[in-house]
Amino acid sequence: MNAHISARDLSVEFPIYDNSHRSLKKKVLNLTTGGRIGSDTAKHPIVKALDDLNFEFGHGERIGLVGHNGSGKTTLLRVLSGVYAPVRGQLSVRGKIASLLDVSMGLDPDATGFENIYLRGIMDGIRPSLIRSKIDEIADFTGLGEYLNLPVRTYSSGMMLRLAFAISTSVEADILIMDEWLSVGDAEFSAKAAARLDTLIGNAAILVIASHDPALIERICTRKIHLKHGRMLSDEPVVAPTGNSA
Amino acid sequence: MTFTMNTPATVTETPATTHSSRSWDRHDGGSDIAVGLAAWHVWAALGWHDIRQRYRRSVLGPFWFTLSTLIMVGVLGVLYSTLLGQEITDYLPYLGVGLVVWQYLSACVNEGSTSFIGAGYLIKQIRMPLTVHVSRIVWRNFVILLHSLPVIVVLLIAFGRYPGPEFLLVFPALLLLLLNGVWIGLVLGIICTRYRDVLPIVTNVLQIAFFFTPIMWTTDLLKDRAWVAELNPLHHMIEIVRAPVIGHPIHLQSWIWSASVVVVGFLAAQYLMRRCRNRVPYWL
Repeated sequence: MNAHISARDLSVEFPIYDNSHRSLKKKVLNLTTGGRIGSDTAKHPIVKALDDLNFEFGHGERIGLVGHNGSGKTTLLRVLSGVYAPVRGQLSVRGKIASLLDVSMGLDPDATGFENIYLRGIMDGIRPSLIRSKIDEIADFTGLGEYLNLPVRTYSSGMMLRLAFAISTSVEADILIMDEWLSVGDAEFSAKAAARLDTLIGNAAILVIASHDPALIERICTRKIHLKHGRMLSDEPVVAPTGNSA
Repeated sequence: MTFTMNTPATVTETPATTHSSRSWDRHDGGSDIAVGLAAWHVWAALGWHDIRQRYRRSVLGPFWFTLSTLIMVGVLGVLYSTLLGQEITDYLPYLGVGLVVWQYLSACVNEGSTSFIGAGYLIKQIRMPLTVHVSRIVWRNFVILLHSLPVIVVLLIAFGRYPGPEFLLVFPALLLLLLNGVWIGLVLGIICTRYRDVLPIVTNVLQIAFFFTPIMWTTDLLKDRAWVAELNPLHHMIEIVRAPVIGHPIHLQSWIWSASVVVVGFLAAQYLMRRCRNRVPYWL
């Protein structure tokens, strides 16, 4: 089956509830004062993060999202990974998604490396029996050896990143969602990590990556989408795509 | 492997969508509770992990719960059996079961109310059924309950009162308690995430409810005001566990209450989930 993402009139708005809005008091006052305050209590200020986006991502496409800070790149990635549901419009996603939004997500500093691998695995929805078979592979890749039996808080920040990277990239997915390229560790590990990431991306049917690095987009992407204030400014093929089409 | 996320007004689901909307990351508001509860290996592991975290470097570990129960029930039992003029071998187990079950219920209410706020970081990073975050908290407190309740049984045996066959009713009663904890957490979790003023209200109501529920005192003290206990669902949730443990007569009424509350509670939770599942991340 071909992986596929399609969005029609996709909009995401964040309501801002400050103290005066997000309270029962207003609701209750509303009842007693017969709607005098009502008109402004119901209207929370909103931030339009994504505004009527239409796109189709097909099998084999590598999409690079570019745009200024706050242009909606990360929000779009989160919508694609299922964290935020569209407020309006439709999104349909076919294929298994994996997102590398925050690699150190859910790492518990007081738990050991092995425990963290396990916890992260089950939170990603992997069956416990499968995780056990994966633990060795992940442990091997981190190269942390006996340290994996120690609490993560005893790690150096580089070691912690190694662990986080190894766990996050141990997924198999049709659709891969990334916020910036990941580069971790010392020279030796960094090369190993880059190779692993390349394999991961090579195996994925669709890649969506947000980045501020034009060279990176040019190197790995086949299509570039420019976002500004939550709207699509441009959607164009990347000139001279390198040999990364899966 | 297809899913569609729509605004409620335009739900157009193909059979394939319905099927896969029941998987881990492809659930929707309607299937969140079912998918979440079915993933018992996730919330059980996370709940256990929480307990291990709390006592990671302590010698007694979770048995601190056991010891705390023993100390509190012992001291309060001696004090109040004297004050209320009750036989200690009757009063102490009565108070003990009531207190440990109350601790469980109040933890479900208080921690359940903040379940989504507390798990906000995870909710904004990874899609999984929201029910998992609640079940984790409920399971954690259920494990604490299972570490405390045996203390009372041991005390009973020390007093020479051996449990009869009706003791077996404890197990279905505990199951009902577990389920009650989940819907309480779901309903309060959703409401308290949206309306941040509800949390202090809940805390206050719960404090008062403690004194209105027969835990420190017994129902026969109420005389002609027995309705205070009879209309209190918390009383019935406690009673279904307490009666079989301390060998009091079993009241069918309490079982009907507890079971009905589970059904009504889950209907309410399901309704809220259907309506609000997709909004919760925006409220965090």
